Amino acid sequence: MEIEDLASSSDGMSDLEVTSKELNDEELQYTSGSIPKLQFKKDTSKAHWNAEMGMAGVIEKKGKMWITTGIVRRGKLYYTIEETLFLAEILAVHMLDVDDTTLFLKDLYEKVAEGKSGCCWETFEVYRHLKSLGYIVGRFSFINQLKTLQISDLRPDFEVYLPNNKFRKSSPSDPSFMLYVTRAHPPSRNEIEELERKCNGIPLKFSHVDPGRVSFFSINRVELPILP
Amino acid sequence: MGPRWKGKDSEARALAEPMSEIVQQLQSCLIHSKTRGLLLGCSVLLGAGADCMDLLIRACFGQPIITAEKDKQWFELSLEESFYLFHSLRCLEIAGEDKRLKNEDEIWQYIISKKPAFPYFYKAYSHLRDKNWVVRSGFQYGVDFVAYHYHPALVHSEYAILVLSEGSDDVNGRLNVWSDLKCMVRLCGSVVKTLLVLRINRSDGYLAVSPLCLEKCNVEEYTITRWNPEQCREEKTINKRTGVCRMVSRACNNNAKMRVGDVKYQEEIAQDNGQRHNADPEEEKEKLEKLKF
Repeated sequence: MEIEDLASSSDGMSDLEVTSKELNDEELQYTSGSIPKLQFKKDTSKAHWNAEMGMAGVIEKKGKMWITTGIVRRGKLYYTIEETLFLAEILAVHMLDVDDTTLFLKDLYEKVAEGKSGCCWETFEVYRHLKSLGYIVGRFSFINQLKTLQISDLRPDFEVYLPNNKFRKSSPSDPSFMLYVTRAHPPSRNEIEELERKCNGIPLKFSHVDPGRVSFFSINRVELPILP
Repeated sequence: MGPRWKGKDSEARALAEPMSEIVQQLQSCLIHSKTRGLLLGCSVLLGAGADCMDLLIRACFGQPIITAEKDKQWFELSLEESFYLFHSLRCLEIAGEDKRLKNEDEIWQYIISKKPAFPYFYKAYSHLRDKNWVVRSGFQYGVDFVAYHYHPALVHSEYAILVLSEGSDDVNGRLNVWSDLKCMVRLCGSVVKTLLVLRINRSDGYLAVSPLCLEKCNVEEYTITRWNPEQCREEKTINKRTGVCRMVSRACNNNAKMRVGDVKYQEEIAQDNGQRHNADPEEEKEKLEKLKF
């Protein structure tokens, strides 16, 4: 008797994959020479950090990363802090301060630590994880939320699109899902309900961050069928 | 994830003899034979004649106790199982240590004194049993219940169930911290089950007062699953006939076929049947054949 496609249950196999991957990670990082090397970009854009906006204004576009990253305001392309940091880590952008001096990674990490640009470290790690896999990730925007103008701070962090080389910022379709980066505890039922209300029918996923590791979960309301 | 049947004929056998019919036959049999259970600690013991014994096994209520007695088969039922037969199906009478039959309030008070959170567990148990799912203890997996599409001899369980109550004073204390949630999801993944949370919502006050309170609360069902972004495309399709939601992975990397000889599968059979590890697949097949339906 064969059990076919047990692996098509994504939870089953992904856990088995993670087991061996995690073991290997522990072994690999025993020597500094075995830290994985990231693929660096050869085409580097240039951008100025705008402290007032908390964003980077792009002055020179190179390569292709900018097509699926950033927002356009009054004809100019801007990156959020998480987009800026992600692109800087892979050399897809060369960051400059107001006075044209170079901003290094250290300066950008410090900007995240300052917490004035709308993104904390854990949220950045989630952003980086998905972006590295080719997903298109934008900050949750209230533009679509005309129906639910609520004062509560609780809202999804990101709108995520599946990897798609035909994506255009000017005319995006609905996101594939919304993403909430959980804080200390798993979300309560009330928090889940409030977040789902703000998603306007788009599926919601949750992520949790341990230092350096990001995991994702779906919490779905179901109704088991009545059996014969 | 849909039902994973054991063997080629199992699904057909399940369709030919629906669980609802077996439970109905059990109900008639127990009423007719005036079977009574005995409250002992957190269990109820009952001695069944040949007819009822067969139906108890097929409907999956209780565990047989191996004794030398020939004309009666003793079964040990959980509090949920016995209360379901007593309260929902009204086919079992229950006596206490004084050999006197207890009424509903007496049984309820006795059970609550042993297991204060019983109303929530019972609501969850009866909610699924009423829908003809087979519900068994989940203690082997560190969960409250496991749910099967049909008898465990013919199908693997699909859902590992945790019972939560509404509000901050959750009676079960589960899934309050990330380590517990992740542990549960990971465990469920490795035994190929989906984590199902049954949230019991009470409309007024604590449920323990009387069995009537059970009518005033409702059950919400949630699945909690891990999503792996590396697997890129995931689509959910709902089987219109069974209503079962199946995750279909388009770009799935290690789509290995698992065979009967695979250690993981053997462990799972052993876990499902509560048997010792390293079950022999040929032995399993023989046991399936011997189980008379």
